[in-house]
Amino acid sequence: MFSKADRSAAWAVGLALVMFFIGGPISTVVPPLVDKSWGRPAPGLKPYTEIQLKGRAIYVREGCWYCHTQQTRTLVSDTKRSGWRGVDSPISTPDEFVYDKPHMFGTKRTGPDLSRVGGKYDTQWHRTHFRNPRDLVPGSVMPPFPWIVEKPEEFTALVAYIQTLGRAKDWRPDKDYEK
Amino acid sequence: MPSNNVAAAAPPQPAKAGPVAHPDTTAKWFLISAICYFFIVGIIAITIAAKFCWPELLGTVPYLSYGRLRPLHVNGMLFGWLLAADMGLAYYIVPRLCGVKLWSEKLGIATAVLWNIIILDAVVALLGGYNQGLEYAELPLPLDILVVVAWIMFGANIFGTIMTRKYTQMYVSLWYIMGTILWTAFVYITGNFATEFTSGVNQANLNWMYVHNAVGLIFTPIGLAIAYYFIPKSSETPLYSHRLSMIGFWALSFVYVWTGAHHMIHGPISQWLQTIAITFSVMLLIPVWAVVYNFFATMKGQWHQLRDNVPLKFLMSGTVFYLLTCFQGPMHSLRSVSAIVSKTDWIPGHAHMAVLGCFSFFAIAGTYYIVPRMWNTRLHSDALANWSFWFIIMGGLGFFVTLWLGGFWQGWQWNNPAIPFIDTVKALQPIWLVRFFSGVMIFLGIVMFAYNIMATVVGRKAYVQ
Repeated sequence: MFSKADRSAAWAVGLALVMFFIGGPISTVVPPLVDKSWGRPAPGLKPYTEIQLKGRAIYVREGCWYCHTQQTRTLVSDTKRSGWRGVDSPISTPDEFVYDKPHMFGTKRTGPDLSRVGGKYDTQWHRTHFRNPRDLVPGSVMPPFPWIVEKPEEFTALVAYIQTLGRAKDWRPDKDYEK
Repeated sequence: MPSNNVAAAAPPQPAKAGPVAHPDTTAKWFLISAICYFFIVGIIAITIAAKFCWPELLGTVPYLSYGRLRPLHVNGMLFGWLLAADMGLAYYIVPRLCGVKLWSEKLGIATAVLWNIIILDAVVALLGGYNQGLEYAELPLPLDILVVVAWIMFGANIFGTIMTRKYTQMYVSLWYIMGTILWTAFVYITGNFATEFTSGVNQANLNWMYVHNAVGLIFTPIGLAIAYYFIPKSSETPLYSHRLSMIGFWALSFVYVWTGAHHMIHGPISQWLQTIAITFSVMLLIPVWAVVYNFFATMKGQWHQLRDNVPLKFLMSGTVFYLLTCFQGPMHSLRSVSAIVSKTDWIPGHAHMAVLGCFSFFAIAGTYYIVPRMWNTRLHSDALANWSFWFIIMGGLGFFVTLWLGGFWQGWQWNNPAIPFIDTVKALQPIWLVRFFSGVMIFLGIVMFAYNIMATVVGRKAYVQ
């Protein structure tokens, strides 16, 4: 069968497609049909508001996601690092990300993971931090983003988005979320 | 020579034997523009490497911030340099393996023009922040559509040439190029169009199917097509085994597509899907070792040629990097290893070894081999070509090895939650500094390569044999 593809382009094309289309649909189309949690929103998950979506678009535009992941993995160290004031964070589950388009899971952690950052820092902290991260975190390599801070509508939207991250699971016992 | 099928395994020699005169206009256009982007995007590359060491650098200019330059670096290198160079080489290889002229040089030139329009628009879009937010699929939708159009034009030309071929038997490079054209179409559509209709984990799964197969089913098969052609050509030795090349090709076509979910090991995606991705990632060792054994066995008794054959130096060190990067890949996908190296600086070390160390080496080798032949002249300077090899490989090794060590160390630190995150950032500073200087070295090698090729073309003299 395969040696026919040596001499006939039609055979080569046909076989190459057959081989590809065994794994292609099984690994892309089938999983969301089998695992319904991919598409079912978590109980505490709310769709983004208009201003949060605007902030999310800024997060996408500035490429924040190249350095910050948004997933607390099934590793003890991840749940501790995403935790807050001694409380470990729950792991991320697919149902928390149903409204995320584009998804922002990320592949590289040059900065810390942001999957549970919502409510940890207040607006004033973010303002100072975006203007120059090293004023608050010496040794940080995050770029400064003065052009966001200088546009109040952009800055407010971005912070509104950041404060939603990881809030679907109401995991902090003292509920001391910053606005 | 223990070959299973000598007639098929020996690369045909149509350039001398056949009466066909190849104008190669399309190949020339693609290669020259690819080399220009290699140089320009190289500047972007060292700029973003510098930003890790000096984060204030160009920090107040939105268009030059890290988040905008990084996608330009990635897309510029992948599509502006590497894919364009690979396509240029395919436009050279395919007519020769078929013993006929390229189906349509006019269509080819139109494709080259369209490709340049896409790349230049991409620069504007990415610097302006028009980023779709999906890795490798950052380009806005209108440009995605143009890429598909260009790809159809490329495919029509290559398939048109293969359909009119004089030799019935198809050399392995031809299957790989045909496979590339077909698989790329579906992989690209999945990553750039199907993702438009999905969100969350579902979208991430499609995104990573594309990201992984952009390397596995685009750059790997077209890169191997090039290596399968130029290793025998530049060493003037027949390929070791036709059967082994078939095993490699068909195993690749079956195994690669399953592995996308290994980008989310331990992440919020179904465990069974992670396990499937891990299983198939480990199976990737089969096609890789089949290919690498074939290349090494071809070189048996010929290794002395590496002393002064620059294309062969690039080809064989590219093969070693292919072996290494494709050993790392399956190992990373294992849950225990992933817990350490995933999301760390190890990953860019791994990715650069694949795209720079392996596939760019193959493309550079092909360029060094064909440019003097296409313009009927001699290479401007063999010594400079040799220097370009040593600069790129030493810079490359510095880059890969420091990032592996640094990334592994970083992963260990992350797994100890007693260490504050910022301390793991500070710890990486010396690593990033070495990476920057290694990057400068790679860039100098690229400058030598680009200058050598341009000087060959511009200052050419007719070369009488």
